[in-house]
Amino acid sequence: MYRLSQSLTDAFSRRFSRTVREDYRQDEAYASTPQGRFWLVIAIISLLVMPLLLPQYPMFVATQILVAALAGLGLHLLVGGAGQISLGQAAFVGIGAYTSSHLTGDLAPLGILAGGLIAALIGIVLGIPSLRIKGAYLAIATLAFQFLADYIFKRWTDFTGGVAGRKLPAEGTFLGLPLADDRVVFYLGLVFAIPMFFYAKRLLSTRAGRAWFAVRDNDLSAQLSGVDLVRSKLTAFALSAFYGGIAGGILMHLIGAVTPENFVLSFSIQYLAIVIVGGAGTVLGAVLGAFFIVLIPETLSVIAGAFGPQYVAQLSAWRSVAFGVLILLFLILEPRGLVGLWGRIRDYFRTWPLPY
Amino acid sequence: MSKVLLEAQDLHLSFRGVKALVGVSFSVSEGDLFAVIGPNGAGKTSLLNVLSGLYRPQQGRVVFLGEDLAGQSPQARVRKGLGRTFQNLELFRGMTVLDNVKLGAELAVGGYTDLAPKARLEWKIRRHAEEVLDYLHLSPYRHAPAGALPYGLQKRVEVARALAGRPKLLLLDEPMAGLSLEEKQDLARFLLDARREWGVTLVLVEHDLKAVLELSTGVLVMSYGEVLYQGAPAGVRENPRVAEAYLGRSA
Repeated sequence: MYRLSQSLTDAFSRRFSRTVREDYRQDEAYASTPQGRFWLVIAIISLLVMPLLLPQYPMFVATQILVAALAGLGLHLLVGGAGQISLGQAAFVGIGAYTSSHLTGDLAPLGILAGGLIAALIGIVLGIPSLRIKGAYLAIATLAFQFLADYIFKRWTDFTGGVAGRKLPAEGTFLGLPLADDRVVFYLGLVFAIPMFFYAKRLLSTRAGRAWFAVRDNDLSAQLSGVDLVRSKLTAFALSAFYGGIAGGILMHLIGAVTPENFVLSFSIQYLAIVIVGGAGTVLGAVLGAFFIVLIPETLSVIAGAFGPQYVAQLSAWRSVAFGVLILLFLILEPRGLVGLWGRIRDYFRTWPLPY
Repeated sequence: MSKVLLEAQDLHLSFRGVKALVGVSFSVSEGDLFAVIGPNGAGKTSLLNVLSGLYRPQQGRVVFLGEDLAGQSPQARVRKGLGRTFQNLELFRGMTVLDNVKLGAELAVGGYTDLAPKARLEWKIRRHAEEVLDYLHLSPYRHAPAGALPYGLQKRVEVARALAGRPKLLLLDEPMAGLSLEEKQDLARFLLDARREWGVTLVLVEHDLKAVLELSTGVLVMSYGEVLYQGAPAGVRENPRVAEAYLGRSA
């Protein structure tokens, strides 16, 4: 009995209490410390269990966060990774949403995937100007794309339903489960989101990520280190659009309809806000940023609701102002975003109560 | 006689009226430490830019490993083994030292399709990068952002990044400029070691005449885009045209 317990604790400590990375291979792993692995597992389990415990409305908000995090993560690969600015992410979310609205029910995952792929193709086209122009000029080019997409969403009635948009049948089901149930949509979203988050993290820490960061930091030198600029920029645009498109497909199922006003410029700015507030450079930033950006209006409307319903209506007008102020504050006070803030808090408590 | 690695034939380059290179020809053999010297504005950096494909010469050819490089992009030339470092640091400042070197190491280890990461190759790249970091005594800084390091170390990181690609020939644009004597000696030692151990042929643009004459096996002296002297380092000081370009004509 003693020997059994001894060997169990040994095995346990070997498995979980390694805090020193012993070789390069461990240093390259996803979560190389036991705490890291522990929290990763906890996070995934709680994501899976959450819909069973929470009522509809919180799940609606949670799915919104998931959508925002995915679209934000895509933009993050482009802006934080390859250093290319884009004000057109909402357009890609729209492309994904409209595409998947044509292929739903049991085929919903295929529809969402198709939305992502079509968005990626158009993303490559949008990436072409980036081969010639940079910075503010590129931002203008993507802005033009955003408006063009908005125009097409409103005018191409055969595909998009025009200004009125398209509505999903309320009785639509996926494998027998009602798609009107936000929990079902949340699970559908997770099927895409979890692998996509791991994939993004992997990409950022391997060859593609290195090439993107190199392009961001110094494109001349990147070229002379063997980086293919054209390929690197275009894959960043394509992937960013793909993530946006997938997010759009999930969003469409969440709302149960698709209308042009969900994909206007202010949403593109909101996705950019997720990247900046979350902190460029890490995948975690996209999640934290999405939480922040989705929960702030929610919290504000709860507060406003407490004062009286007339304030809630006024609130939406102030939303954009609030985002603008937030982006500015973060750029000035904490350029590394919530991730940087979190890192500082963690460092503080690691040595607490000692100062060093 | 070892085989010729790089050959420049009658290179001409001008920017509108300014003639940067006027009929420059030379050849570098395997194992050489070939130095290019000359006063400011002599066209040394222009020459390197032509060799690495950033500028297109109006006339002349660059032959590397027996192949004419005309029309080949800079990254294609790098992949063929023609490495390059810069005079003014061109590091990836936001990336860690390790990632900078890994990027270079991909050239030696071999890349893969970037959208399908391969763990096994990543480990190989990592091992290779660590070897170079260790070699250049950069291991303690591997996780530091390159831009945050002191100047001398940044220069060394740039050399590490280029060496990690195991180039057959490395073009170094003033690697020692701005370094202290001690740092210069260290760097010279690293370069000589790399040449001996990995068989990297070096082409060095340098202002420090003393370093050049001590280290190099062959020298090319340029002034106003023209070649003044080409040959053994010992002959540089005796050459009257070189003395004139550097010191001026005696009255």
